[in-house]
Amino acid sequence: MSVQATPRATTDEPAGGPAGSFAPPLDAPPRRGASVRQIVVVVIAGVALVAAAIGSMTLGAVHVPLSVVIDALTGQAEDGPLKQIVLDLRLPRMIEALVVGAALGVAGALLQGALANPLASPDVMGVTGGASFGAMLILLLLPDQIALLPVGALAFGLLAAALVFVIGATGAGGGSVARLVLAGIAMTAAFQAGTTSLMALFPDRVQSAIFWLAGGLTTSGWSNLRVVWPYLAIGFVLAITLTRPLDRLALGDDVAASLGSRPRAIRLTAAVAAAMLAACAAAIAGLVTFLGLFIPHVVRMASGTSSHTYVVPTSAIAGAALLMVGDTLARTVAAPIELPVGPLMVLLGVPLFLWLLRRAA
Amino acid sequence: MALLSRSAPPLDPSAPLLDAREVAVEIGGKRILHAADLRVAAGELVAIVGPNGAGKSTFARAVAGLQRTSGGSVRWSGVDVGQLPGRRLAQLRAFVPQRSRVPDGVTVREAVRIGRSPHIKPLGRMMQADHEAVERAIARAGVERFAERKLTTLSGGELQRVQVAVGLAQEAPLLMADEPTSHLDLGATATLAKLLRGLTSDGLAVILVVHDLSLAAAVADRVVVIASGRSVASGPPADVLVRERLAEVWQVDAALETRPDGHTALHVAWLGRQERQSEAFAAEGAAADPPA
Repeated sequence: MSVQATPRATTDEPAGGPAGSFAPPLDAPPRRGASVRQIVVVVIAGVALVAAAIGSMTLGAVHVPLSVVIDALTGQAEDGPLKQIVLDLRLPRMIEALVVGAALGVAGALLQGALANPLASPDVMGVTGGASFGAMLILLLLPDQIALLPVGALAFGLLAAALVFVIGATGAGGGSVARLVLAGIAMTAAFQAGTTSLMALFPDRVQSAIFWLAGGLTTSGWSNLRVVWPYLAIGFVLAITLTRPLDRLALGDDVAASLGSRPRAIRLTAAVAAAMLAACAAAIAGLVTFLGLFIPHVVRMASGTSSHTYVVPTSAIAGAALLMVGDTLARTVAAPIELPVGPLMVLLGVPLFLWLLRRAA
Repeated sequence: MALLSRSAPPLDPSAPLLDAREVAVEIGGKRILHAADLRVAAGELVAIVGPNGAGKSTFARAVAGLQRTSGGSVRWSGVDVGQLPGRRLAQLRAFVPQRSRVPDGVTVREAVRIGRSPHIKPLGRMMQADHEAVERAIARAGVERFAERKLTTLSGGELQRVQVAVGLAQEAPLLMADEPTSHLDLGATATLAKLLRGLTSDGLAVILVVHDLSLAAAVADRVVVIASGRSVASGPPADVLVRERLAEVWQVDAALETRPDGHTALHVAWLGRQERQSEAFAAEGAAADPPA
């Protein structure tokens, strides 16, 4: 699904006369580093992230002044309910928003780069379908074992991705983009059928599943993060090592291979990293994976670059910022009722996305 | 992603840059290439010509180390291609593929920087020398005028020159290009031909896979003819692309004309001799002179 060099009717202008004039003096210094526009995008995302973090720590059913938050975080606050709210409830939730948003932004950026496909999101690796099924197993079959929810979502998310890899990456023609994507779609359909069947079998318990499917963070302390952190760590470390190899895939597999890269190995490693990150995100926050689809697009369109060394880390910041803003709003706009953050973020994100899409065209 | 650079055998400076003998390739159990030979020395432009499906591109990919061979030997400066890690090989030859992806949001300069990657250690940074090599490649390929533009805004000819610039940034002694002119108009083809021929004056060796025989005759020091998976002839264009061979390999009645001033032309009886004659007779009546 890559864009091919198409012949065009355009007439080339001569490149400056005969062959002898091909090498003019190098007077203009080459532009290096990030453009102003790229820096502005990072700064906006960073400021939004810091503001959201402050909001997330101070706002809620109980208002906690920022000074108390800072004291609590630095260990200077006196023991009491406010300190407890900050350290045991709001800090883990803020950290969850941070890592889930970052994980989804990075996962989407990795997959869109590796598969050279703008529609790629963690969904296409089967992760979302698998994680939903795992979560429904716990929520509907073992409602007493709610603590196992992140384990189930993570395990089945990774299982679905592993099946997609086995089918899509082995055998003749394995590892091609089309094979992986089609295997992912098939696996997603299979797990979705399982999810729907479970819901049909236990209609009385479906209520508890709705919130998970809508996507959102819960105030469950550090337990979710304790389950997923090793996979998150592996995913983020792989992502860091993949940014430059992914840039080398930009001109196609032949160019990358001729430069000494291994396109298939890079693509599969990126897909593994994205699957881990997306499974962890689903384990913590349910189905908010659509963030992974549009955050990298927003970053690319706003900054004007597709370089992975820029898009991957910036998508992490932007994803974290958007999820944290969404979560804070979800907790506060209709307090004490908590809105599901998934639909709320769609309301926030889609207008931005569509506006950028129109402008970019 | 060769994270560990294996130690490869030392290069032999007295050996030819590229020495490929009896190269055979099987794809999916089917023999595409039976036995093809190619030797290239510095400063030489060799054109690989042949009919569609004869195995030209497969042969080029095999010698470039992009396609596994099932027989024969490919040696770069005396070292077997299988013993050269990818990054090392990328410093010996650049490869401009037939069709490369044109990604969104990538500028010409960013693309050319990708070509520099074999010289940069994994997780390392581009040094001053690397930036200079990128600028030299941009200038040499004549793409500095649009170095800040996105690839998606370029014409076909401009794109191909960028691809050559990507190859030049590798600073390899040999550049291979697979059908770089096949989608270009006349002017863009001439510009690219001048560029590639000019590279040999810089001391580079160039291998050009091309189906345009008059272009091959104009730019190449030697042509290698591939037919049905075998190299059937090699030598100066005027000696190799003779009427009998064009008839035998391409099944066409054609003659190559090369003038001392560098003009080349391929005179082809496109519709075959007999049909043409009879049509001419029909049009002009029996009194018309028969065509020569």
